[in-house]
Amino acid sequence: MEKFNVHVVINNWDRYWEGFINTIQVSLMALVGCFILGTIIAIFRISPVRPLNWIGTVYVEFIRNIPLLLVVFFFYLGPASLGVPLDGFVSGTLGLIVYTASFIAEAIRAGIQSVPRGQSEAARSSGLSYVQTMLYVILPQAIKIVLPAVGNQFINLVKNSSILAVVAGMDLMYFADLINSDTFLPVTVYTFVALFYLVLTVPLSFAVHYMERRFAKSS
Amino acid sequence: MKGGLALIEFIDVNKHYGNFHVLRDINLKIEEGEVVVIIGPSGSGKSTLLRCINRLEAISSGELIVNGTLLHTKKVDINQFRRDIGMVFQQFNLYPHKKVIDNIVLAPTRVLGLSKEEATKTAMRYLKRVGIADKADSYPAQLSGGQQQRVAIARSLTMNPKIMLFDEPTSALDPEMIGEVLDVMRSLTHEGMTMVIVTHEMGFAREVADRVVFMDEGQILEVAPSSKFFAKPQEDRAKTFLSRLIHH
Repeated sequence: MEKFNVHVVINNWDRYWEGFINTIQVSLMALVGCFILGTIIAIFRISPVRPLNWIGTVYVEFIRNIPLLLVVFFFYLGPASLGVPLDGFVSGTLGLIVYTASFIAEAIRAGIQSVPRGQSEAARSSGLSYVQTMLYVILPQAIKIVLPAVGNQFINLVKNSSILAVVAGMDLMYFADLINSDTFLPVTVYTFVALFYLVLTVPLSFAVHYMERRFAKSS
Repeated sequence: MKGGLALIEFIDVNKHYGNFHVLRDINLKIEEGEVVVIIGPSGSGKSTLLRCINRLEAISSGELIVNGTLLHTKKVDINQFRRDIGMVFQQFNLYPHKKVIDNIVLAPTRVLGLSKEEATKTAMRYLKRVGIADKADSYPAQLSGGQQQRVAIARSLTMNPKIMLFDEPTSALDPEMIGEVLDVMRSLTHEGMTMVIVTHEMGFAREVADRVVFMDEGQILEVAPSSKFFAKPQEDRAKTFLSRLIHH
């Protein structure tokens, strides 16, 4: 039976640490990216302009219903087949952004639609354009409503970033695989990986709970 | 009528929601500086008529000319058009995430392009006028209904509109707060603002209206000067409507 061995971490600290930093970087970039893309898709989804509406719906229904792994493969293998290969880090991050954005879009769409109609009527009747109304009146209210749901998607995003290991994306999971193949101590190696992920996700989880409580109070 | 320019003109206007005929053959001319009150039973199309004036509702047929603009054509720059028309809603519709002052300066800065300072100055002037300058830094949820509606009126006035539309502005208020909102509206009528008001406040209508428009089932049944309408309505439907209100 495998013995739990702290020396595995100490001896491989550099690789753990590099993977951890890369995982943080991927998560942060994907977080910003999928939030922006998700917001745009959400606005497409509720847009009165038919083609935009259609694009938004197709995006959400397609991306949300295929495995993340395939989305990442698409960015990893697709460009390479056209002669412009992307490395695992870049294609993995892009895949995460595109995939997570479809969930964020649905959350934000629900938030936008929960803002009372009178809000946009007041804004539009004062001469604000559709886009201005969205930016200054609807979205600030919608995002407050959906923060907990979006926060949960961010937690998923951090965990899903482990998909980068499959395309040699230099993340925490990727280095863990390397360490394991050197040490043959999988339980120890991956338990420590789990701890690294918890360092990131537990604070996020607390933040979501905090926002849920605050929102419950203010409404 | 005050004999000025026609600011609002409905010509044979009809509107349908699917099979529902909401507005039937509406013909109505409202002159500059006039105060017109629209009354009638619930579901008679009063609010819809009002909301057509700033195109929150589109018309199905006929012509609607407001402030020199043919409203139902596609070429209209609707945002440009709407800056001259203020609207006050039954539910106030203040932006809950913004302070009172920021509620008011949003449109003047973003639509008229005023600087924040200029807009704030004008906003404070109107807040003073509606009697709640001390609430500039409060959030809407911290105000009473009457105060919120006065902020909403100040918000519209800060755009310096040519026409003010009021859609049942006191219907969502506690009885003791109705007076403060009507006072503000009354003072506006003294300044020659063109106003179209949908309301159930008959005493107020009688007092401030130049003309009363009585609607039922999507039609305008009677248009008459206020004193004449309330003293001696011509239409039977208007008579029953008024008698029910008075004896109730």
